[in-house]
Amino acid sequence: MGSNNLAGTSVNSTREMTRARAIKRFKWITISPIVVIFLVVLMPALILQLYFSFFGWTVYLGSWLDAEFVGFEIFEEVLTDERLGWAVIRSLYFSFGSTVGCFLVGFGLALLMYRPFKGNAFYYIMFIIPMLTVPIVVAYTGEMLLYQNGPINGILSSLLGHDIKVSWLADADIALTTVMIMEIWNWTPFSFIIMIAGLASLPKEPQEAAQILGAGKFRVFFEIQLPLLRPVILLALILRFLEAMAEYPKIWSLFQGGPGSVTETIPVLIYLTTWNYFEISKGAAQSYVVMILMILIVLGAIWVLRREKTNLDQMYK
Amino acid sequence: MRLNKRNKKYIFEGFRYSTLTIWLVIVGFPLFWIVGTSFKPDAEWFAWPPVYWSETPTLSNYANVWMGKEELTVTQYAQSMQKPWKALGNSTLVALVSTSLSVFFGAILAYGVSRYQVLTEARMFQLLMLRMVPPIVIVAPLSLHYSTLGLLDTHLGLILVYFLTTLPYAVWMTKSFIDEIPMEIEQAAEILGASKWRTIWEVVLPLARSGLVATFLFILILTWSEYLLALLLSKTEVVTLPVELSKYEGSTEGRVYGRQAALAVGITIPLIIIGIFIRKHLARGFSFGMVRR
Repeated sequence: MGSNNLAGTSVNSTREMTRARAIKRFKWITISPIVVIFLVVLMPALILQLYFSFFGWTVYLGSWLDAEFVGFEIFEEVLTDERLGWAVIRSLYFSFGSTVGCFLVGFGLALLMYRPFKGNAFYYIMFIIPMLTVPIVVAYTGEMLLYQNGPINGILSSLLGHDIKVSWLADADIALTTVMIMEIWNWTPFSFIIMIAGLASLPKEPQEAAQILGAGKFRVFFEIQLPLLRPVILLALILRFLEAMAEYPKIWSLFQGGPGSVTETIPVLIYLTTWNYFEISKGAAQSYVVMILMILIVLGAIWVLRREKTNLDQMYK
Repeated sequence: MRLNKRNKKYIFEGFRYSTLTIWLVIVGFPLFWIVGTSFKPDAEWFAWPPVYWSETPTLSNYANVWMGKEELTVTQYAQSMQKPWKALGNSTLVALVSTSLSVFFGAILAYGVSRYQVLTEARMFQLLMLRMVPPIVIVAPLSLHYSTLGLLDTHLGLILVYFLTTLPYAVWMTKSFIDEIPMEIEQAAEILGASKWRTIWEVVLPLARSGLVATFLFILILTWSEYLLALLLSKTEVVTLPVELSKYEGSTEGRVYGRQAALAVGITIPLIIIGIFIRKHLARGFSFGMVRR
């Protein structure tokens, strides 16, 4: 509002009003093209998806409008489908595993590298390359490496003296874990970069004060550095987890959900339902269920990150 | 040996270098392997014991993939159906245009958020999280919708989708760079008579230029490597490089490792070069409000 001064406030509040209007105009000019594109491109797709969930439709019907209303039948079918439950569990396993793996390795590397040392730049450059590698290339490289006659088995054989031919990609017990490891390889640099930035930006004063007061290195780490790093850690974990839930290229191009269905994560299941089995309506309902699940997770993530940001804002005021 | 300060330092240094080198090997070996495979003649692709570096390196894979030359080999491949150069063109066009749109609108919006909070913090986080919903949930109806609009298998179609999905990153990253520019500079420009738009164009954005370039290149990497949307929203016309790679199988042979490796190397090298180029800015752009300097 206009500032209060003794000589009257009319001039100031008019200026404030004009300014507020100008800001509003700016806001609408910048946001509207984006909103328009969203409404034209994505909104209809969302509505169509909803329509398919409530109106059973198969490819045998002619136009979209021929489908009949089935109420919540499809949702019921989807929610009681064991396969969807398994897909969720697999996705969670894959995402948790790869996120924790990425974080531990990335954090470890960051701890070793955030202070300058000889050869720093070389290691840094090499370590960010995996993130720059197109995921589908990672997938095929992984396949070439883990192929039965491939180098990984070759190296293991040389080390252990006899032929090792682990079937990394075709063994139902380890297939999902194998992809998880590929995912860790691919995305560790993400956590690595974030954690180095975080470590480098830590204020020195609390650490120095603690050391003067006699705290050992471990204590300084656990009781001072880690708590200050919490927002960054949460950021690295949350972002990576959410992206891992949506991972598709590696799992599909290497396994197509197999062997059997051990690598059938959520994206793979939805893809199969919609494009292989042509159960469009079922796929639509599954998509909505997954969307709701993800939105809940995301809301939780937003809550956590916002709380951290508020803490940081207060600390650095 | 005494455990004095100097020895402790040596032990730590030794530990550091050995750990880092271990990871270096883990990072480097797959890269080494794919480059090596791209130079291998056919017989060595599946050999056991594996051929770590070919005794008879050949350029035939590259010639075959990128130049379209058929080589007389033991086995035949259906690569006449593949068109890497067209895919390269598609990838480049779609990536460049969608990234430009994304960064342009993102930066302007970020300016508004940074200076005038046109979007609340809640909205900013919601925007970021919007990207986190798996695209698979929307692709099916989207492809139907696109086919109605005539956007299926078109460049414009992919560009629009990529624009929407990368916009959150564009806004967040450019905002962190714009935040670092002090308001005093803008006030000085205003006093000197510049209008708001002019201030943005000629003062603020040039100062944030290195950050904007970094954001641009990072989003370029994202759009270039995107697979799912490109796969399902294209048929024959707008096939991008990642999709091209996945289609690169021989009709009778299944995997053709050498050829795929040659294509993969071609796809990846530009991105690696770009990434190395912008590495200093990646850290700043990735902070999302959680890192204070």
